[in-house]
Amino acid sequence: MISKKIAVEVLNKALATGADFAEIFSEETHSEIIALDNEKCETSNDNIVYGVGIRLLRNLQSVYGYTNDVSRAGLMTLAETLSKSFDGERIKTVSELETKKVEKKHRPLIPLTSVSKKDKIDYLLKGCRAAKAVDEEKIVRVMASFLSKEQSVDIYNSDGKYIHDERSRGRISVSVIASDGEKFESGAESPGACKGFEFFQNEVNIEELGKEAAEKALLMLDAKECPSGQMPVIIGNGFGGVIFHEACGHSLEASSVSKNLSVFSNKLGQQIASPLVSAVDDGTIEGAWGSENVDDEGHATHRNLLIQDGILTSYLIDSFNGRRMGMKENGASRRQSYKYEPTSRMSNTFILPGKSTVEEIIKNTKFGLYAKSLGGGSVNPATGEFNFVATEAYIVKDGKIAYPVKGATLIGSGAEVLLKVDMVANDLARAQGMCGAASGSIPTDVGEPTIRVSSMTVGGRGEKIN
Amino acid sequence: MNYQEFFIKAKENEIEESELSFGKSKSLSFTVYNGDLENYTFSNNSSLSARGKYHGKAGYVNTEKLDSSTIPFLIEKIKENAEVNNSSDELIIFKGSEKYHNKKVYSKKLDETPADEKIAILKKLYEVILSQDKRITDIELSYQEDLSEYILMNSYGLNLKSKSNFFVIYAEVIARQGEETKTDGKVYVGQDLSQFDIDTFAKDVVKKTVSQFNSIICDSKKYRAILSSDVASSFLNFYLGHIIADEVQKNTSHFKGKLNEKIASSKVTVEERPLDKGPSFRSFDDEGVATSNKVLIDKGVLKTYLYNLATAKKDNTVSTGNGYRSSGKVSTALTNARLKPSKLSESDLISKVKEGIYISDVEGLHAGMNGQSGNFSLQARGYLIKDGKLSTPVSLITVAGNLFKIFQDVMMVANNIENYRSVNSPSLLIKSIAVSGK
Repeated sequence: MISKKIAVEVLNKALATGADFAEIFSEETHSEIIALDNEKCETSNDNIVYGVGIRLLRNLQSVYGYTNDVSRAGLMTLAETLSKSFDGERIKTVSELETKKVEKKHRPLIPLTSVSKKDKIDYLLKGCRAAKAVDEEKIVRVMASFLSKEQSVDIYNSDGKYIHDERSRGRISVSVIASDGEKFESGAESPGACKGFEFFQNEVNIEELGKEAAEKALLMLDAKECPSGQMPVIIGNGFGGVIFHEACGHSLEASSVSKNLSVFSNKLGQQIASPLVSAVDDGTIEGAWGSENVDDEGHATHRNLLIQDGILTSYLIDSFNGRRMGMKENGASRRQSYKYEPTSRMSNTFILPGKSTVEEIIKNTKFGLYAKSLGGGSVNPATGEFNFVATEAYIVKDGKIAYPVKGATLIGSGAEVLLKVDMVANDLARAQGMCGAASGSIPTDVGEPTIRVSSMTVGGRGEKIN
Repeated sequence: MNYQEFFIKAKENEIEESELSFGKSKSLSFTVYNGDLENYTFSNNSSLSARGKYHGKAGYVNTEKLDSSTIPFLIEKIKENAEVNNSSDELIIFKGSEKYHNKKVYSKKLDETPADEKIAILKKLYEVILSQDKRITDIELSYQEDLSEYILMNSYGLNLKSKSNFFVIYAEVIARQGEETKTDGKVYVGQDLSQFDIDTFAKDVVKKTVSQFNSIICDSKKYRAILSSDVASSFLNFYLGHIIADEVQKNTSHFKGKLNEKIASSKVTVEERPLDKGPSFRSFDDEGVATSNKVLIDKGVLKTYLYNLATAKKDNTVSTGNGYRSSGKVSTALTNARLKPSKLSESDLISKVKEGIYISDVEGLHAGMNGQSGNFSLQARGYLIKDGKLSTPVSLITVAGNLFKIFQDVMMVANNIENYRSVNSPSLLIKSIAVSGK
């Protein structure tokens, strides 16, 4: 989008007043969203996000600006406006930009742009019909959507580097509302990947997906209210990892660690979890939803081992917060778009598999809650206290699944729950989500095998236990 | 970009009617965290949204890429999206209102004041807040200034423009005393920096924060209550969701069939005032319909529903100028709605209460307020009222009730109205609210 020659001029303009680092992030993203409601296409929209962000650093100070006037004049004006925030002498000049070679992983075989809107709608309809067919009467509403996104990124910086990357993502969602005339319950499935249409053809069974969402909603319709109290909790694999993401993952980001705002600040090498827990953040997994070749500063993504056998081994570090910590970045700097200054974020973050089987975990639980799938929740960043809702849950009694319950909420603090994990299964699975924080909303995978927490507070409207 | 060329090309491509809206914004924002400047961000951005009717169906598209490829892209996508769209919502392109009331809501002075002076105001504010009380441990101040320009054009030759700017100062204060941590915040929205009174603002936010110390959990029972302006505004926002014609037509409004009937206490008069000079001034909505100041609820009697072009057509009436865009499509929204203030101060209201509770804040509205049934159960905090004065602070209590009952139970209305939310209310004295404490 910008020639190297203009990029050099803009970087030098930005560096004129003493900044020690300057970076240009240029982006062109095409996205398409199609949404169906009861088999009718209610929304079909295309959107282009296009512009440039310029960041200047001087020691521990940063300034950021963005524009979509990408003309030479527009960029020079922005660079000059930002440089006025500093009042020193020039300490750095860029003479030329060397193109850094980027290994191209995560390439789509069938680009989503090559598939017509009609074909995408026909694909979604298969899922909608399968969901409706589970119970024509009680499945009162089926919604489905298809998101396609192609992002092209160019990064130029005062280290003399030019980096180009392309990211292609697709995600679908089928969500179902079931009703018996009085109560309403919902169920949803939303898989996605950094892949093309081949992912949806080969790896996703859309009919099965619609069926699962419908069955989940119907199951909850007949479920009893969840009892409340302290009890062992088995958290299901896949999206169950959202608790680890929200209550632990965010506390490992350099943005909070570097300012001593995290419960895990200054804890490297210390035990922060049960010895059964090892966890990674891996931005390199081929075709995964949260993967990228390079992060949004142009550094190669890593597989970062965060926790090994309960010991804290690494944080997620971007280069700016790394300055405060005296540590090198590890490919974890991300942003929603050019409208956001990048910072440390997660990519695909999950607990590694253990040796137990799910059957063993259930068999070993005398009484407890099996939260098979989780929905949304909230976390207080200052204390790490969280509150999550289970969308599919069962009471386990005498080593067997007894009956489904609804309205279960899991309450605890991240630091405490990690230490209380007493069984880890071998069924690791990942699930897709959008993570919102200071640098915007970005695609991330959460994940875990089925785990058991020895004791946790469960909230529900049913009977009170202990 | 040559906008006229878009309309010519659209016609050539069998797009019968079309509309373009162009938005341009400039913003400056920064944070002063414990005295240090952080997150300084400057932007200058524009975007274009287009919609059109192709073979009788609606197509939508947005872009930030404005160059020679823009027009062919817009046309291609309008056609593509219209072809697959089978939404029942009708797209209506408006020919124009007879008269638009324009006011100057752009301040060149604010726009041209250097960033340094704005940063200095926040640093001063930090010093003043910090000096108020030794128990203050953290102060986060943020400044956000936006200049937005908007142009709406359509294939019937309508061409409307607006330009406005304002700034927002937000303060969040954390104070600690022993084991207790209390936090509170305050917002100021304006256009003239010289009118921002640092001392009053600082004193107010500190008082709100430190007056919460030594809070108790009060007894569970029904209390005569005063809802703060913040709480009353949040409640009114949910309440007015039912005045949207869309909801009435879909049978999800509590106010269906209640036009010209008494739905609230006679103390309650609600107006929408988009033409008042201020941060929410709008002379036309996102469909190009002229807005107007109007009474929605007159002394408790429901006077009108709110319409956009499509919902108005369904009821055989005219749009009330409330068509606002959310993610491409036009829905219905309010601009500067307010519960009409009285001449009484908040203290006058408090002085009328022998024994009761003042609810200053509620939490978890999204989960704890059922906008449909109006039933709510919310975590809250505030103060007990004794002999006409605020006394012991209370926290970690739950207030429960019904939204529609609350507005029937309004006994008195105060005069402390703000204008920065889309829906504003002064403090309200209500007959009773159920509190669950200890």
